Amino acid sequence: MTDTTNNSEIQRMSLESALDVLARRRDDQVVVGTMTANGVWRDKSPHDLNLACIGFMGGASTLALGVALSQPERDVWVIDGDGSLMMQLGSLGTIAGAGPSNFLHIVIHNGVYETSGSQPLPSQQQVDFAKMAEGAGYAQTASFGDAEEFDAALDELLAADGPTLIQLFTRPGGRFFSARPTPPGITPALARMWPPVAEALR
Amino acid sequence: MTAQSIPADLLLSAIREAGVQDVVLVPDTHQRTVLDLLMDDDQIRTVHCSTEDEAIAVSAGLIIGGRRPMMQIQHAGLYASVNNLRGVGLDGQFPIVMLIGLLGRDPELDPRDDGSSMVRLCEPLLDTLGIPSHLLDGPDDLHHVAAAFDEAAERGGPVALFVGAPTS
Repeated sequence: MTDTTNNSEIQRMSLESALDVLARRRDDQVVVGTMTANGVWRDKSPHDLNLACIGFMGGASTLALGVALSQPERDVWVIDGDGSLMMQLGSLGTIAGAGPSNFLHIVIHNGVYETSGSQPLPSQQQVDFAKMAEGAGYAQTASFGDAEEFDAALDELLAADGPTLIQLFTRPGGRFFSARPTPPGITPALARMWPPVAEALR
Repeated sequence: MTAQSIPADLLLSAIREAGVQDVVLVPDTHQRTVLDLLMDDDQIRTVHCSTEDEAIAVSAGLIIGGRRPMMQIQHAGLYASVNNLRGVGLDGQFPIVMLIGLLGRDPELDPRDDGSSMVRLCEPLLDTLGIPSHLLDGPDDLHHVAAAFDEAAERGGPVALFVGAPTS
């Protein structure tokens, strides 16, 4: 497990290698992704139970919480971003308070707002979401900056009751996205995406 | 127009009759007597959120998972939740019903004429977003609760219910 005492000198893995570790454990979990992780995750683990959140300003984790509370027998993973979580830090208390044992909260910590051009987060290297989650009352937390260490520890973390938050230190990948204009009358992506997931969960 | 207080047990009955399974809430002074009953209710689960925009996302997730949630918030939280109301509620076309307390409303006035911007701007805000709203100004208006779920399902989007006077 990564020592986060001094985040400015912390080891970082690639986003691809981090998500490879998760994808190898993918079975029938609902996986809610947000921002830069969405595209990478879709390639690593294409699945009917993937949901992508864009423009929620930090809402992915609480949407995943709702799914987890409604489907207690099924594991729900959220692949969150550090910038996204910073916008909704109170959600850590909300999730811990609800206490779903089937909830895994992955936080991709790259220290930047990557989609908008990799501007730094307000606290950039220093913020430690694992410590925040521990303080909020998550059942377990962990941090990794090395994919092999993450791989070695993940099965034990998945076997224990959640809510669990795993902070993954990754290198910014320069994945800058510029939104394309949306033609009038188009059904928004979210409205197209969730009904099939809901149907699959019936 | 004079808004009348709705007894908490009547409002809770209307919520039950609408088939609500989860109340996703950020506490509302106006509806505190209902909240007291809900905390002790063994049929309806309460999910306590830190912010109202979280409540919208949690409600959406519950709907995906097959539950029938209702949000219960205060008017100030409506203003705080606008991005998720747009990005989750409207763009996701989620049939979310929101019960919103108009704290501080003058019961003698139409909310649109209220002296408080917090009260006065609620309905115009929802009009701008294209979200229908209905006023619960007394026990006779409780039929709007179940009807709001039908309306939300038919429209494919959120519907708001304003609680016009403090519940008793």
